[in-house]
Parts: sequence; C-alpha cells; structure tokens
Amino acid sequence: MPVQVIVFGQLTDILGHQPVTMEDAPDTSTLIQQLNQRYPALVNAPYIIAVDKKIVTGNTTLTGGNTVALLPPFAGG
Amino acid sequence: MTTERKIKNIFTQGPIPASFIADSIQKHDTKTNIGGHSIFLGQVRADVIDGNKVAAIEYTAYEEMALEKMHQIREDIFAKYPLVCMHVHHSLGKIATGEICLFVFTSAAHRKEAIDACTETVERIKAELPIWGKEIFENESYQWKENI
Repeated sequence: MPVQVIVFGQLTDILGHQPVTMEDAPDTSTLIQQLNQRYPALVNAPYIIAVDKKIVTGNTTLTGGNTVALLPPFAGG
Repeated sequence: MTTERKIKNIFTQGPIPASFIADSIQKHDTKTNIGGHSIFLGQVRADVIDGNKVAAIEYTAYEEMALEKMHQIREDIFAKYPLVCMHVHHSLGKIATGEICLFVFTSAAHRKEAIDACTETVERIKAELPIWGKEIFENESYQWKENI
C-alpha cells in the first residue's frame, strides 16, 4: 500500500518540498530504511515521526493511505 | 456543561501589525469581568552568526497538525486557569527583523492567572507546535532556527 511522506524545515533541504510516495511500506521502520537508502543525508538528521498528524514513538504499522510526516526540531515563536 | 471550542486558525501570512494588536486590546472593552490582560509579543531578532546578520525569518508550519495541537493546548490552559479569553496569532512567510511574529493574549479576572496562562501558552507553543523558521542572512545564505 502506498504511503505519502511529507517533510518540513531543514528536511526540505534533503527531500525537497513535494510529497514523496513510497509504494510498499508496511511499517514506519521499513519506511525509514527505504528513505535512508534513497536520501543518505537523512540518516543523521534529527526528527520525530507523525502518522496522520499524530506523533508516534517506536515502530508503527502503516495500513496504507497514511501520511507520514518527518518533523525536525520545532522552532516556532 | 462542557464547552466545545472550535479549532481556530492562528496563522497569519506576514508580520503581525501593531495596529492589529491595538485593535485586539480595544475589542475587550465590553468584557468588563476582565481585570487583567497579559500579552506576549515575539519579535524577529537580528542575531549575528559568524559575522552574518539575520535579515528575516521565513516561517513554515505543518498547519493542520499545528492547529489541532494548538486546540489541545488551548483546552488544557482553559482547564487549568480561570481565563476569560485567549488569542494566539503566529506569522507564516518571511518576517523581517524587528517585526512581530507571535502574539499571545490572555485575559482573566486577576493578573496572576492571566500572566501564568500567557507564559505557559508561549512555552507550549515553542515546544509543541510543528513550526519551523529559516533564518535568512543579509548575504542571502540561511540556517534553520533552533529554539533554546
């Protein structure tokens, strides 16, 4: 099932501004491995993960059609 | 009875004008149960890093997520403090140094509640809202802002 990946802040320097579609990602760990291969600069970048706007910790199952956001450290205000 | 508050938009494109802040204060003159307002204004600072001076910060956000999170923060703050009202505005886009990028306005019957609620809201906005700032230097290079 395809998963849409969106990134913000400094991660747009690595992945650009457009959403990236990953075709076969059963869970967030697999997804990140795939992204790390495609974008090696991502490996050492700090970020947290949100699945459908909810922050997740640890490996999370993706059911397809999810939007996974990679969120670098927040800097509002 | 529970009060349902709608998700409010906090984002405004460009800087927050001083006249908007003045109008916002003026609008409270009919709410005579208020005895104290507390206002925090964030202003873009001209930091100098390795000899380069910041000229502007360009703000972006994961807007849908930020608005949901702000709604939750608002609910928490209203549950914790006896506020009459709270208003939050955050800029998006390029904000030049010296311009206002964050406006947090809390009002209560007494000063302590207004001040404490304002402080806690500002801290939570900085820590929890998915907002990013690109510090653009006078020589047009940039770095990503970090909150400390």
